[in-house]
Amino acid sequence: MIASNQTFIIAAYAVTWVVILAYLVRLVRKGGRARAEYERAVQHQREERQS
Amino acid sequence: MPASTPSNDPGPAPPPRTSLWLGLVSVSALVAAQTHAILTSPPDADMGHLQKIMYVHVPAAWMTFISFFVVLVFSVRYLWRRRENDDLLAASAAEVGATFNGLTLMLGMIWGRPAWGVWWAWDARLTSTLVLFLIFVGYLALRAFVDDTDQRARWSAAVGVIGAINVPIVYMSVTWWRTLHQPPSSPATLDAAYTLGLRLNAIALLLVLIYFIRKRYEIARLERATEHAAEAVAMGGS
Amino acid sequence: MAWREDWRRVRAIARKDLTTELRGKAGFNAVVSLGVTILVLLGLALGPDAEALRNAAVGAVWLATLFSAVLAFNRSFQVELESGALESLLQYPGPRWTIYAGKLLGNLIFVTLMVVIVVAVGVVLFGVRIPDTWPTLIGILALGIAGLVVLGTFYASMASRSRAREVLLPLLLFPMLVPLLLAAATASKALLGADLMHEASAWIRLLVAYDLVFLIATFLVFEHVIEA
Repeated sequence: MIASNQTFIIAAYAVTWVVILAYLVRLVRKGGRARAEYERAVQHQREERQS
Repeated sequence: MPASTPSNDPGPAPPPRTSLWLGLVSVSALVAAQTHAILTSPPDADMGHLQKIMYVHVPAAWMTFISFFVVLVFSVRYLWRRRENDDLLAASAAEVGATFNGLTLMLGMIWGRPAWGVWWAWDARLTSTLVLFLIFVGYLALRAFVDDTDQRARWSAAVGVIGAINVPIVYMSVTWWRTLHQPPSSPATLDAAYTLGLRLNAIALLLVLIYFIRKRYEIARLERATEHAAEAVAMGGS
Repeated sequence: MAWREDWRRVRAIARKDLTTELRGKAGFNAVVSLGVTILVLLGLALGPDAEALRNAAVGAVWLATLFSAVLAFNRSFQVELESGALESLLQYPGPRWTIYAGKLLGNLIFVTLMVVIVVAVGVVLFGVRIPDTWPTLIGILALGIAGLVVLGTFYASMASRSRAREVLLPLLLFPMLVPLLLAAATASKALLGADLMHEASAWIRLLVAYDLVFLIATFLVFEHVIEA
């Protein structure tokens, strides 16, 4: 009984890490893209002001 | 609608940066806490080593409630002060909270299958967590289907406040509902032997939560600032 | 004096809602028909064993009510949407809460009439045996309708103006109704089963608290929601 529980224990920790790491990667990637878009938009705005 | 800014105005404060270090530190702390808990906790009298799932399941549930609380606080603040950043922070907490909520549910089922023999048993806690998940999803769906940013912020805040008020009521009513019918229940408070491990894991996961919310908030601020800049240009030179 | 003015506004809005084309006889018939249809489908899906149907009666009636009510709530704001009347309504002098109260009153009357018919049909189709405690059952029904109308009106005021009103209103509303559904259904089932009265009274108290809490909360928040 205790041995078969091992599968579920491992599954629990695996699911936890999959969710945490997947969300982490998603945030970092989205963050990079958002930051790039922002820099571009601010740069564009600065150029418009000067012209 | 933002008031037009004079051309010598540097513009709104730039969105904050969230250091990746915080992310790495919190993840490492989590690894450490989990390793410590797994290696040092003795098997439970009834559940054996199955009890170890509690170290991920219970903190995930706590993070869900903390996220909900953050949504409530910043929804109220938004309705009071109408500051856009408060709306963005509430929405970020909602997305992160929904993620932890989903995780809590999956872990609850993974625990339940070997413990009860079934994947789902309408247990009080799992059921209320499922209902809360639906409330989170409703909040996020509302934001997805409303385009006007001012309306979206006001409505999300209203829904966030009303939804949060319901959280304890749902919990209470589902628990009453179940106590009448003697179901299997999730382990309540743990034995003293497990408290330290649980606390360490909770603190580590809290660090992860803080990182996630800050990062998500940074993204929301960046996206909004990009929109503002584009609007300013479109309105004919800022 | 201001109270009488406000109350007049409330009644006017309710009356307008109940009599406009979309909500008049035709609209009411459509919503009631939907409720009855749902009951029939549930009876077919859960029956034909009389005992099973009797046990399912409370749940079936509540589900039919919820799904039909959602239709009613969306329609209560649809009139304004189609004629742009919401903006004009907002420009009239007078406190905003009267708009909300008017909508609530209109929906309350509409849904109560609908539920009377749905319950009557449900009692027949599901073979419900009316107990001596039937006045309390009616009380539970009334409390349930009150909570349903308060939250339904609140969420409909937003969902009906969004891009996906058919799915958004139930998605927002139904999770919020969980305590109400549990309380009303469990208490009703207890009373129908000639039970331990103390179980029902605890649930009734929860219903009252729930209705009051959300009536007050939605009133406080509504002004933020109604702005065009």
